[in-house]
Parts: sequence; structure tokens; C-alpha cells
Amino acid sequence: MFRLILSLAYKNAFLRRSRALLLIVMIAVSMSMMLALEGLYDGMTASMVEKTKRSDSGEVSIYAKEFRQERTIQENIKDAKKIQEELLLRKDVKSVSLRLQADGLCATAKKSSFATLIGIELEDEQGFGDFSEFLETGSLTLRGHKTVVGKELAKDLKLKIGSKVIFSTQDMSGEITAVALRVSAIVQTNNIALDKGTMYVNRELLRKLLQMPKNSATQIAIRSDNTRLAQELSAQYPDLDVKSFLALYPMMEQMQEITVIFNSITFFIVMLVVFIGIMGVTYVSVLERVREFGVMRSLGMPYSAIKSQILFEALFVAMVGYILGAFFGFSALYYLENYGLDLKEFADGLESFGYASVLYADMKYDYFITSFAAIFIASVLSVLLPLRRLRKMSVIEATKLQI
Amino acid sequence: MIKVENLNKYFYKGESREVHALKNINLEIKSAEFSLLSGASGCGKTTLLNAIGALDTIDSGEIWLEDVSIGTLSEEQRTKLRLEKIGFVFQAYNLVPVLSVFENIGFIMQLRGFEKEFIAGRVEELAKILEIEDKLHELPAKLSGGEQQRVAVARAVAAKPKIILADEPTANLDSLNSQRLMEMMQHLNESEGVSILFASHDDYVKQKVKRIITMQDGAIIDS
Repeated sequence: MFRLILSLAYKNAFLRRSRALLLIVMIAVSMSMMLALEGLYDGMTASMVEKTKRSDSGEVSIYAKEFRQERTIQENIKDAKKIQEELLLRKDVKSVSLRLQADGLCATAKKSSFATLIGIELEDEQGFGDFSEFLETGSLTLRGHKTVVGKELAKDLKLKIGSKVIFSTQDMSGEITAVALRVSAIVQTNNIALDKGTMYVNRELLRKLLQMPKNSATQIAIRSDNTRLAQELSAQYPDLDVKSFLALYPMMEQMQEITVIFNSITFFIVMLVVFIGIMGVTYVSVLERVREFGVMRSLGMPYSAIKSQILFEALFVAMVGYILGAFFGFSALYYLENYGLDLKEFADGLESFGYASVLYADMKYDYFITSFAAIFIASVLSVLLPLRRLRKMSVIEATKLQI
Repeated sequence: MIKVENLNKYFYKGESREVHALKNINLEIKSAEFSLLSGASGCGKTTLLNAIGALDTIDSGEIWLEDVSIGTLSEEQRTKLRLEKIGFVFQAYNLVPVLSVFENIGFIMQLRGFEKEFIAGRVEELAKILEIEDKLHELPAKLSGGEQQRVAVARAVAAKPKIILADEPTANLDSLNSQRLMEMMQHLNESEGVSILFASHDDYVKQKVKRIITMQDGAIIDS
């Protein structure tokens, strides 16, 4: 009997071709748009998270206990080099970068601004987060007294490549000290805090300027896939302040949650439309064929078989819509993942929120699984009302039979 | 084979417009009978066929199909009984529009889970008797009224029910097709041994049947 039910369902599902086609197109278009939107939302957030990790914290950062509260260089990690070597021996650690950072005043002949000078090793940073990808203009070098400046800070101080700038701060003994620097490059990390107030110099230059001990650092940033690394390192270095990315950037966690909410709302709206679409078509289709169902019941077809037939009719159309939607959605996501959505015209606005001007999608296979499940459930739910209507009718009423 | 005892059926029971549609009906139909329910329009022929066919409920009395009392069955049990023991031929043919002639004839056999080979053999056998063997792969919409009714007869008889109930099967057919259909049904009655109970006004049907049960105002006046 199952084959008969399937055959009846298949033939009836596509009997009224234009109606079935409309429903299929509606499901396919709304689903592919939804997938593309979901991918873009996730891609925007993932890109922001990744750039923040690459430019600053990594997955885990280690500081001296009071550094993050006091922001003074006296709170530094004295044996940072040794810790770096220990960390690099771990298989779950991909790279480690030591940084020195000092808050101070950055001044040109015409303007000054509060800034943070970060001492880095370019080679380490390249391995840590492809630092050269942040380059906007200039040549990425920190030799001598060269400095790399964040884009917004450069804009604020009207700095160009080759501009001279004085950075003054306090050294380890509390004395005011200053260094003259020449801008070699301007970078944009899309980490708003860094772009607005950071300059980079060679770590050794900054160490000497601040008269800090050799092998010391204010931050040890670590890249790793181990999600429990922060807890493990906290236990290993109880005298240091070990923080995970989300502990350092709680806003990012909120961003991720907001993205999930946006995606859920989009998903709900699309699935509601799909549900109403399938239910409308199924309802009309069932009402048109009440007599036919009555005849089949009078011939001895059980109600359960008719129920299955109607359910399969809805599922056949919905699944064709799903397959097309998945195909177009995959194509859109593939394009957006590889080529991105170019919104350079809105670059200023996007960048002020920390987004890149070219948005790339993030394709997750979950999208296709949850869409399949939702469309399946929507199909099942959508036949309940038509079936209820049919169930209420007696065989004679349904057929108006004169047997 | 079918025994109806003191059957009563009302429409709009308890309302001012109450109709006593079947009045104390007593009737027996034996195996392989070829009989007709006759009477004026509104006399209760269709109501009695609906009750015997387990399509409608009754208010009092008993209907026995072999050893089963139809009145006590649930909706699902009545559906099963119709599937296994009763064949129907409708005035408006009522073929399943999306199924081919072959699939329509085999419909009840498929519902009953018969073997594919058996279904194919039986469909071809009946198609030959009813002269529709060249139409097996057509959809019902492409057939004439006479051909559609022959497909409906083949569907009704295919799974070898105990009785076939046919309400005005010739009403939508011209005289030539009516004669052909009745001859074929008579042949099936004799060759298959299936009881057939008609409800009809058609004089030609009256001529062909072996027994006429006459109804008037919901009661049997002559059987």
C-alpha cells in the first residue's frame, strides 16, 4: 500500500504544475536568501572576532596581575621570554607573541593625542596574525625609529608616510622619556581601539626607552585551538592574569549572541512564510479533492493512508523547494565566502563599527541541516489543518455519493 | 449472504423536519444474486444501499454481511469491511484521476496488498472481458463515459468482493453503452459468482436482473 500512497502523493503533488512551481520557487528563493543572510551575519561577526584575535589578544592573553587595572609598565611579566618558550613547546599552541605597551602622548608639530605605543617583533606578529594584511599604505618595517600607526590615529593627527611624531611617556623609574619616530606605514585592523590610538615600534626600541628588563613583556598573546587553554594556563601560572578572548572582549560575545538572535529571527520569519505557503496550497488542494478522498475512503482506503498521502504531497513539493533553495543558497554562500559583498561605498560607516568594507560570508553546514529540519516540520504541521477538515467529514458527506 | 432485519433509518432525527427514510426493512440477498432495488426517486433505494455498503449508520435493526453485523462496527472496521467484502460502482464513475486505467483497476487489490504479478494478471483478464485492454495506460480523463464505467466495474470486481453495489450505473450512459455494460456485468455475475445489487430506474436493467425488490416511501413493498 505504501507504494500506492507514494505514487498518488507524487502524482497529485505536481498535478497543478503552476501552483506547485510557485510554492517551490517561494521556498527556494526565501530559503536561499535566508542562507545568504545568515552566512553574511555570521561572516561579519566571525571576521570581526578573527581580526581582533589576530591584531591583539589571540585566543588567550597573559598579563602581569595588576597590569590591566593599573596600565603601568611596572606591572610587567619579568620572565616573558621563558614563558613564551614553554608555551611554544605545547602542541596545542600555534604561535605566541610578546608585546610591550606603554600609554603616553603622541604629538606632531600641530596636534597631539593620547596613544598607546606597542613594541612588537614584526616577524612574530606576521606568524601570529598575518600583520601585513592590515597594511593600508606604506612599507611595513620597524627598523630603527620607524613606526606603524593605526588608521584613525593617523587621520586624527594628519600623519602621512614619512611624517615625524614624538611619543612621550614615563619609564620604569617614573621619569618622562620621549622618542622621535617616523611613520613607515598606516594599518587598519578593524579593531576600533587599536585603529584609534595605537602606534607600533620595534619591541627592543621600546624596551630600551622604558628601561625595562630584558625578556620582559606586558602581554603574551597566544593563538590556539584549545578552548580550555585559558583555564589550563591559569592553573599553570597562578601569579599571572590569564584571560580568554571573550573575557577580554565581552562585547564580542554579545556580538555573537546578537548575530544568533538576528539569524533566529530571520529563520523564524522565513519558516513562517514557508509554513503558511505550504499550508495554503495543501489546504486548497485537499478541499478541491474532498470528493476524491471520499471515494477512496468508500472503496476501503484507511484514513491513515489518506493522511500519509497528503503529508507526502506536502513533503514532495517542500523537499523540491528545499533542494533548489539549498543549491541556490550554497551558490550564494560560496560566492560571498570567496568574493565577498563589496560595500566600499559605505566603508566609513562600516569601519566605524569595526566591520570591513568587503563583507565575507561564513558557510556553516548547520544552516542546511536546520533548514531541512524546519521545512520538514513546517510540512508536517501545515497538513494538520486540512486533515482536520477532512477528518470531520463523513464518507457520504465528503463524496455526496449516490452509490 | 446479506441479511437485513428490522432496519430503520431517520434523517434529522428529533427535529421537526424528521424523515423516516427506511421503515422496518427486512431483506435477504443470497450469494451470486443479480438483483435490483427499484422504486420512485426518494423512496430510499440509495439510503438502503448506503446502509448495506457500510457507508452510513443505522438507527435500529441489524445488517449482517455473512457473519458480521455492520451496525456495531467502528468507522475503521467499516472501512476494512468495505475494502475486503464490498465493491462499489458509482453513477459518476469516480475513478482516481491521476491513476491510469491499469492502476485504477488494481487500486483495491493494491490496498489489500495483493502480489504485483497477481494484480497485473487480474487487471488484464478483466480488461479483456470489459473490452478496455487497449486503454490500460490511459488516464480516465481520456476515456468515454462508457469506458470509464467499465473501468469502474473492473475496479469493483477485481478483488473478488462478496457483493457489488451499483447505484444508477447506466444513468450517464447512452442506451448502447448501457446494454453493453449490463451484458458485461451479467457475464461477471455468472463467471465470477459475485452478487450484484443495483439501484436503478433503467428499464433495460429491470429486464436483465433476476430479482426486483420494489420500494415505496422507505419500505419494501415487493421482493
